[in-house]
Amino acid sequence: MTLFLASLGFGLVTASVLAIAAVGFTMQFAVTGVLNLAYGAVMIGSAFVAYSLNQAGVSVWIALLAAAAVGAIGSVALNRGIYTPFQKRGSAPITLVIVSLGMTLIIEFGVQAIVGGTNVSYTMSTGPTLSAGGLQLTAVQLAIIGLSIVLMAAVHVLLTFSKLGKAMRATAANPWLARASGIRTGRVVTVTWALTGALCGIAGTVLGINDGSFGATSADLFLVLILAAVFLGGPGQAYGAMVGAAVIGLATEISAAYITPSYKDVVAFVILLAMLAVRPQGILGVAT
Amino acid sequence: MTAAQLFYIINILIYAGVDIIACLGLSQQFGVAGVTNFGYIIFQAAGAYAAAILSMPRDGAFGGFQSYIGGLNLPFPLPWIGGALAGAVVALPFTFLVGRRLRGDFAAVGLLVTAVMFNLLVTDYRPLFNGSAGLSLVPAPLQSTFNPQGQGYQWAYAAGAVVLAAGAFWLLRRLTESPYGRSLRAMRENDIVADSLGKNLTSLRMGVLMLGGAFAGLSGAVLVGFINLWAPSAWGYAETIVLFGAVIIGGAGSHRGAVLGAILVPVGFEEATRFIPQFGPPGLVDDLQWVAIGLLVVIFLWLRPQGVLPERRRLAGAAFASGNPESQAQFDRNERAVTSPGPASASPSELAPSIASAATIDDTVNSSPTPIVPVPRGTEFVTPVTSDVVLRADGVRREFGGVTAVAGVTLEVHRGTLTGLIGPNGAGKSTLLAMLAGTLPPSAGVIIYHGRDVTAMPAYQRARLGLVRTFQLASEFKRLTVLENLLAAVPGNRGDSMRGALRGPRYWRQDEAAAVARARALLDRFGLAVHENTYAGDLSGGQRRLVEIMRALMTEPAMLLLDEPMAGVHPALARRIGELLTGLCAEGLTILMVEHELAIMDEFCDPVIVMAEGTVLAEGTMRALRGRPEVVEAYLVG
Amino acid sequence: MTTLRRSKRSLRNHRSAVLTTAALAAAALAALTACSSSSSGTGTTGTGTTGTSAGTGSAPSGSTITVADLAPFSGTDAALGPTYLISCNGATQAINAAGGVLGHKLACKAVDTRGDPADAVPATRQMFATTSGLSLVIGVTSDEAASVVPVLNAAKMVVFGMTGQSEFSSIHYPYFYRLVPPDLAESYAMVAIAQKLGYKKIALAFGNDIGSQTFIQPAITSIAKAGMTMTANETLDLSASTFRTEAEKIVASQPDVIFTEALGPAEATFLSEVKQLNHGTMIPVIGTSATISPDWYKSVAAALGASTIASSYHADNLVTETSGPSYTPFYNAIMSQKGKTGSSGNFDTYLTAPGAVHLYDGINLAALAMVEAKSTTPATYAPFIAKIGNGVPGATVVYSFAQGIAELNAGKQIRYEGPGGPTSFDSYNDSTGLFQIDTYSASGAVNVAGNISAAQIRAVS
Repeated sequence: MTLFLASLGFGLVTASVLAIAAVGFTMQFAVTGVLNLAYGAVMIGSAFVAYSLNQAGVSVWIALLAAAAVGAIGSVALNRGIYTPFQKRGSAPITLVIVSLGMTLIIEFGVQAIVGGTNVSYTMSTGPTLSAGGLQLTAVQLAIIGLSIVLMAAVHVLLTFSKLGKAMRATAANPWLARASGIRTGRVVTVTWALTGALCGIAGTVLGINDGSFGATSADLFLVLILAAVFLGGPGQAYGAMVGAAVIGLATEISAAYITPSYKDVVAFVILLAMLAVRPQGILGVAT
Repeated sequence: MTAAQLFYIINILIYAGVDIIACLGLSQQFGVAGVTNFGYIIFQAAGAYAAAILSMPRDGAFGGFQSYIGGLNLPFPLPWIGGALAGAVVALPFTFLVGRRLRGDFAAVGLLVTAVMFNLLVTDYRPLFNGSAGLSLVPAPLQSTFNPQGQGYQWAYAAGAVVLAAGAFWLLRRLTESPYGRSLRAMRENDIVADSLGKNLTSLRMGVLMLGGAFAGLSGAVLVGFINLWAPSAWGYAETIVLFGAVIIGGAGSHRGAVLGAILVPVGFEEATRFIPQFGPPGLVDDLQWVAIGLLVVIFLWLRPQGVLPERRRLAGAAFASGNPESQAQFDRNERAVTSPGPASASPSELAPSIASAATIDDTVNSSPTPIVPVPRGTEFVTPVTSDVVLRADGVRREFGGVTAVAGVTLEVHRGTLTGLIGPNGAGKSTLLAMLAGTLPPSAGVIIYHGRDVTAMPAYQRARLGLVRTFQLASEFKRLTVLENLLAAVPGNRGDSMRGALRGPRYWRQDEAAAVARARALLDRFGLAVHENTYAGDLSGGQRRLVEIMRALMTEPAMLLLDEPMAGVHPALARRIGELLTGLCAEGLTILMVEHELAIMDEFCDPVIVMAEGTVLAEGTMRALRGRPEVVEAYLVG
Repeated sequence: MTTLRRSKRSLRNHRSAVLTTAALAAAALAALTACSSSSSGTGTTGTGTTGTSAGTGSAPSGSTITVADLAPFSGTDAALGPTYLISCNGATQAINAAGGVLGHKLACKAVDTRGDPADAVPATRQMFATTSGLSLVIGVTSDEAASVVPVLNAAKMVVFGMTGQSEFSSIHYPYFYRLVPPDLAESYAMVAIAQKLGYKKIALAFGNDIGSQTFIQPAITSIAKAGMTMTANETLDLSASTFRTEAEKIVASQPDVIFTEALGPAEATFLSEVKQLNHGTMIPVIGTSATISPDWYKSVAAALGASTIASSYHADNLVTETSGPSYTPFYNAIMSQKGKTGSSGNFDTYLTAPGAVHLYDGINLAALAMVEAKSTTPATYAPFIAKIGNGVPGATVVYSFAQGIAELNAGKQIRYEGPGGPTSFDSYNDSTGLFQIDTYSASGAVNVAGNISAAQIRAVS
């Protein structure tokens, strides 16, 4: 039982990191229709920016903000500079996927060329460990969970109550109609990519914090978990991504308690493939 | 040249052979058939593992430092054949992912994840293929007789790899330069339309996946026989990206392009970087190599997506250009001589004699209509039809989420009529048409065609029974020529299956010739003969419409479902089409036509069905309908 | 598409054109085979030397002979190639300072295998094709050994390998030499260390890559033989980001000590999570000799803390000298490379790292063998390696290349003993030695904390 509770705790942490990342990813897909597979690369690049600040003496929580900024700028540049021109030309979605894979190679190995192959750690204290029952979480992990909850709440407020959020939802649902109704979809897209890029940067840094040690290729497998969360909840559905992140985070860590842990990510893979085969629009999506 | 340099060249040759075979298989899937298989590397891995465990002795023989399944100690060439078979078999379940109505990019993601997952499973489950250490001491072919490290042996190995690559090239050429290849390319261009013209997409995709899988498996077997070791590090998903890059850069869809891509990228690029000395921090050269590959892929997709050697345009014979009646007549005589004459039976090749007379017509509009449509097909399946109702919809509904697009439609279409279907925007006309054709399943209701319940029947099967539709939006096969567009629709061509294509042109050229003649006749009639070899995507909007209609006619339909065929067409041409359609109806063709042009309805359609808000409002001639107040209210303006 | 343009005849022509080309290509290749076999003069095998007629004398006088470092310089194990290069550069620099080999200077060359067998084979072939004066190969890790050693052996090139894979203990590759212990022996050593330190309950946490997995089975057998208990056996997926559940399982099984090897970020992440989940107290850890490396220390210390490593960490390692006549020249040789490489971390760790110590010895052995054989051709000098390594009765013990040359020139028989201790090559050209227990100090320097005797190893194997 204690093992179950312990892995439940770990699952919550993984789900928190995953939620921040998955919501960003899915909203990028919602407003532009692009599966941005370079998302993981931008995450890790931002994490390294935070690392260099951290090495210069800045607290990692402040460096987090710098990572968010870098993620935002990088993501907007990626969309405006690469994806949008291809889309304007009428490229098929599959071409965009191949392009995003190419961008992944460029960004990720560009980062590795600069920082080298050894993995690094943030200089920070993990704080006291709080245990209750079998749950064991450090203060930092609790902070991560808290941060994730705050960000999810912010996204919810944005989407439901703000004008920008409504514009985002309209653009996601029907760009043509949104434009016809007077929404400046170009600007909405840019702002969305900036906000989701910030989420991406934060997610990368938090991943580095949670991992204890990371390198330029650490986000490769994590991207698959993001995809699993996104497709489980429904591509383009922000709330779906939150649900998906919770399920995938918990499922992988809890299953590790009962099966050989080296297979725990296979659980995520299987869920992803099952969703694609049976219900591609996800739990919260609508069938077309 | 020293021995060492020769050995290196041999190595490169073998790798070139292996990569060419792999790229050819991928090009066939991705470039020709439009199946984006990001899990491709798994097939090569399956082939390598299969060849390994077929040729190795039982795992106990190694004193326990390797553990794996199999170990059958089979002699060459059985392991290589086994490798190819393994690649094909592993491809089967993949059809499940790519065959369904899944967006191309979603399917691609799924396949990528599958590749990662299998790599992880093989790495972690040691008893299967010895985990991450992989299988080592894999026997080279015939190593008990010859010394595998000897120059003679290695030259022979290289020769074998090159011959296999050449054979793969020849085989794929044969398959692709055939009606079957044309169907694959049509599926690539627009799979929904290909489906509606009678192509069984699942079967086509499965065929291509298995064939490509066999090629990949063979390439794996050849590779493992040479390096004698196969581990998960050799087939990470990054390798798939390299192969895709090779096919894209070389030219997707062209086999020469695949060969060139294989030589440029996995061989050329990866080998060239070995000559760069290790400068800077460790691993820098390798990192830059990956960055370069990413850049190449993106740049090529932007500047030259068709690749260095793009897919060739397939041209029709110059010797048979219209306006050369002498050779045309001679050709027709030859064709008639080989075609068996016969009475009015339903097989397509018998059309040749009747069309021969049509082929001598100049392209004037007023020539007498040639019987293009024989006896409606599908009738052989049921007892002789006593009523003349060709198509019936009974209580057909369709819901999308909470919205009801079609709310219980019951209608009948009678043989030989040009029935119109009108209604305001959002009335559900296109949705109804889609359900009648089979491209959309109904939420409720029954659809009867020639007395047979076809509600659950997929579109391609309905097309084969003679129920064919056109589409509202442009749906020509863009990168097929106009003539190819028409030929793609012809049913029953002997070369339109993998087996038929493999038997070679001699087997199917008769059917092909007949189809070409029919197609040309149609082109003449519609005035597009001069555009025979133009890519359909390069035509004007109105011309594309004509191509669509002609293409639908090529399927020898019994009933046509036309979705706004006159949209964007010049009024004079529209009337000409209307006249032609009327003529066809007089010969037994049944048409249900959705249209906005009320003048067309007036002149040609009888009866006309009015829909509004998902239900049928009224039916009758246009004159009668104009007198009905509810119809006028709902829709008619004057 | 219509093929009607081409008549039946031309279709056949096209098909036959393809076939003819293929046949011609095959014929050309066959002809080339015949030509090259007869002209190369070496029969069916290729040699590694270029330049002058193969198989007879040495490289042309005054030319440089090359030692190739054939190892991963990229990919997961990218740290290994550069480590070996440091050793190579240091050793060759010392040899050149002593006058070189038969008047030739030595130079080192890096050849990247990229850490996977499919890339390693062409890398090896390219190395042969483009390297002049190649006389020795070092490196060759578990990532690629099984595919390149047969090639090297057939080319009659001497190679000192770093792989601990078991197949090299029982298959005859006459040109393959190994000075590092097989993974089997290291597993026994780890168990012996645990026994010596008084531990009874052991948990295993090894990465899922080739080099790490080979330790598990021998460790399990050995633990049972030693009468100890294995409380958990977790395999770490090196591509995953966290290992909390694995760590929790291990902590929950309450072991006295954890055996581990998991290269890359995994080790650092995993160990820090163990500490976290054990309420901030680190469980003692015993690592393999691969963990004695500056890169490993740097990454783990950053995550776990240097003081934690100092108090809780042991590693098995072959006995290496830390003082004495063989240590000083070795120290000078390695230290001459300090600051010259792009490597990070505490440079002094190289003085005990297996990749540095044993390859330095291998290069010296080969160089001395070349001198005694009066040839730089591997086929000629190879037999002298075991002779100088094992020694003949009455041989003078020498501790460096310079000393060895001096004795050889004085007409004496020599036996080489380097920082890796005395060698004893068996019939498979494998030599192993005694084990010691290494620890890290708080500053990251490596200390020897004890020794394991041969008897202790026998007791648990």
